[in-house]
Amino acid sequence: VTASSDRAIQGEADGRRLSVVGRSVKRADLIEKVTGAAKFAGDVAFPGLLHGKIKRAQIAHARIAHIDASRALALPGVKAVLTHADVPRVLHAGSPHPRSASVTKDQFILDDRVRYWGEGVAAVAASSEEIAEEALDLIAVDYEPLPAVFTPEEAMAEGAPQLHENRLPGNDVLPPVVVRRGDVENGFAEADFVLEGEYGLGRPTPSYMEPNVCVCNWDLNGKLTIWTSTQSAFMVRGTLAEVLGLPLNKVRVLVDHMGGGFGGKQDLFQHEFLCALLARRCGRPVRMEYSRKETFLGGRTRHSGRIWLKQGFRSDGAIVARQARIVFDSGAYGSHGPGVTNVATASLTSLYRCPNVDVSGRCVYTNTPIAGAFRGYGVVQTTYALDLQMDEAAERLGFDPADLKLMNAVRDGDISPSGHPIVGHGLEDCIRRGVEEVGWRARPAPARAAGGVKRRGRGMGCEMHGSSAYPGIKEQGNAVVKLNEDGSVTLLTGAAGLGTGAHTALAQIAAESLGVAFESVSVVHGDTDVAPWDIGAFASHTTFMVGMATKMAAEDVRRKLVERAAPMLDAKPEAISVSAGVIRCAGTNRSMTVAEAVAPTMGQPAAQYYGVGSYSPTKSYSFAAHFVEVEVDTETGEVRVLQVVPVHEIGRVVHPIAAQGQIEGGIQQGVGHTLSEDFRIDPRSGRPLNPSFVDYKMPLAMDMPAIRTILLETAPDPGGPFGAKGVGEDPIIAIGPAIANAIHDAIGVRFRHYPITPEQVLHALRRKREAERPAHAEP
Amino acid sequence: MTVDIRLTVNGDDYAISAPPYRSLLDALRNDCGLTGSKKGCEVGDCGSCTVILDGKPVNACLVLAIEADGARIRTVEGLQAAPGQPNPLQENFMAHGAAQCGFCTPGVLVMAQALLDENPNPSEDEIRFALAGNICRCTGYTKIVAAVRAAADDMKREGAL
Repeated sequence: VTASSDRAIQGEADGRRLSVVGRSVKRADLIEKVTGAAKFAGDVAFPGLLHGKIKRAQIAHARIAHIDASRALALPGVKAVLTHADVPRVLHAGSPHPRSASVTKDQFILDDRVRYWGEGVAAVAASSEEIAEEALDLIAVDYEPLPAVFTPEEAMAEGAPQLHENRLPGNDVLPPVVVRRGDVENGFAEADFVLEGEYGLGRPTPSYMEPNVCVCNWDLNGKLTIWTSTQSAFMVRGTLAEVLGLPLNKVRVLVDHMGGGFGGKQDLFQHEFLCALLARRCGRPVRMEYSRKETFLGGRTRHSGRIWLKQGFRSDGAIVARQARIVFDSGAYGSHGPGVTNVATASLTSLYRCPNVDVSGRCVYTNTPIAGAFRGYGVVQTTYALDLQMDEAAERLGFDPADLKLMNAVRDGDISPSGHPIVGHGLEDCIRRGVEEVGWRARPAPARAAGGVKRRGRGMGCEMHGSSAYPGIKEQGNAVVKLNEDGSVTLLTGAAGLGTGAHTALAQIAAESLGVAFESVSVVHGDTDVAPWDIGAFASHTTFMVGMATKMAAEDVRRKLVERAAPMLDAKPEAISVSAGVIRCAGTNRSMTVAEAVAPTMGQPAAQYYGVGSYSPTKSYSFAAHFVEVEVDTETGEVRVLQVVPVHEIGRVVHPIAAQGQIEGGIQQGVGHTLSEDFRIDPRSGRPLNPSFVDYKMPLAMDMPAIRTILLETAPDPGGPFGAKGVGEDPIIAIGPAIANAIHDAIGVRFRHYPITPEQVLHALRRKREAERPAHAEP
Repeated sequence: MTVDIRLTVNGDDYAISAPPYRSLLDALRNDCGLTGSKKGCEVGDCGSCTVILDGKPVNACLVLAIEADGARIRTVEGLQAAPGQPNPLQENFMAHGAAQCGFCTPGVLVMAQALLDENPNPSEDEIRFALAGNICRCTGYTKIVAAVRAAADDMKREGAL
């Protein structure tokens, strides 16, 4: 079966109204989650299980002169210790996208060098966690300290120490990414005024609730089975096989439920290699689980750094030139640096139309924890800068920001960041609907001049994000659909169960496309030996790409079923319809159930139908406009978000409640990014300062406002199943600028960075008061 | 050195032998085989391991197993009346989509149960206050709060019957 993205979008399946897609059907995963029955990787137990722990460096940059593990090995209960001398020395990528040109092979399992505080330098397996922990203290490591760099500016400075010898000079992870359109100099010459600003990016972390964990076991034929919490089981399989020198069928990756990832769990982590090697060394299953602190130290963060943005505007509101320089901090390894830099740079060509663009992006190594993939993937950062500057331009022009954004919104036929044409008018639809919904035009005048202690402000922010990682990665969606001899259906998918409800969405798509009830479809997933290959649950890929593959596979089965049933109903195949498990012949009252059609007949076995769908990459864009109200306490500096109305255009909505859940959760993370979340690194030592949930502040139940989500289906995409597009990435992007713009509305201060902390709010208000005080006035 | 500890969990008696430093959470997960309670931080910051200990919600990671010797404990596994009969909280968490990854869900459910045991008719603010020690990173709390409120209503209706 080949891709059929050129087919018209079907609002209806084969002339029928959709009966399953679009309904909030019962998610199969939830009964296990609410009863405690759901098995996560950390819940797997075996007799004879050993426990692994990683010894982590307490220095940010050093060469390891010597490691002495003899005292650890002598501790009763210790079964093995691994150092860099004991593990395969194979250079590999942290983000092993197998079909991406931007893979950065710069990591060893263990190296004789430390590049960030908290990097693993040795691993222990012991009969209990406590013994393993004790053994770590008995491993003596002699470090030769090296000069370190903790910011991109330090890393890019002339003569800065190089983190990786065989990479580009200047600590660049990749050659600078440059995107140009039109002539930016001519554009600025045409401008009536120019705005310029530098935007500072904090360092939020995904902070999924389940710390990284895996269990490894080898069979006597040399096959590794690993239960691990990953968004991408097939990437774990591919990289473990490559680094351990095994064929793919000797590595089996199992992941049933996983406790969140938000992009961070796309990478392979040190413990996954070390756990496999310890299990092989000991000939026993080994479990390795990060503590929360280790999940901060050895996990992934969003790329911090700076964005310099300059735009030229005409007095009629048109943007005539846009110039930007992005510098991202990759941390000690490349991970997703290339992908994030490419996506971020390209994103600045779009959202708001501009004919003349000159944007470049750099990403540099520093001796800090590794930046990786995180929901919003570079676009969170660039949209913050772009949307804040639009708000500033609206003020300068005397325009309503909604009008300026509407006027400049990308629309049908415009070139998207990926180079594909935009389909439909999603962004305009979101802005218009939100303006209407919140009574935007009738909002009170800015409260910044008022004298009260608590001042309210309103703001809006916009965003767009692509579904699937194409063209950066040559993706593919795959699905296998089996029709069983009683008419029930089994769907095999390699897509991970991140908790988004994606498996339910896939089952809905299979049921709709095949013409059976939702309840008759069950989903098999989480086993690389069984399921078809999948790149992983990220980049708003699953419903869009795997959904389309599922549709193709189900349609393949449906075709075979119709061929078998037609003669049974004395009909031509064209006259046959299949719906809710019943096969009917048009214009007659002849019908039979799917179960009857596939059942064995006299002397014939039951029909065995397998449908295979393989969907080639395509791209679509989802859009959103977020409207918020905030309250700023001018005495404490605290900012409270009082309400959020997110309007999202995501094409065909497959499961409304799950889609809303994605949006509400993304907004929560975005509120955290904008107001409180920042993983702080000591600028002198490189030591992370707040690797815990008490010191790294995420929004709690009392911090979150009411969220009234509005879903639009006005710009369905022909590339997605029934016109569906992605939703996971989008909600975290627009909320940040919406909040920052609302704070400006409330107190008249533009913060060009995130997070915007109470301390900074107070400082800014003090500076503002001082600036406004007449020079001759008495204090 | 190990000590003998007796726990009554969801009505079942467990006699375990564990070192004195073993947390109640590890005892439940490893010695009793009840892995529903989750380990998200081990220091009482996240609430994923919330259980009801002699009627009060606690972070099981902050209680030593020996402190719970002889106590009655209720975990997420003990919320449903019988297999296949989820209680109103569980039903409403499913109906409202109040769980995504499901890792925080056991602790959130148990905390919500403790709230409803004490206050069968909580306001939205009271629900949010009660759940302030349970971090959920996926859903954004909107659906969780709605599910708890709806469960309270369902329980009131059931009580009236």
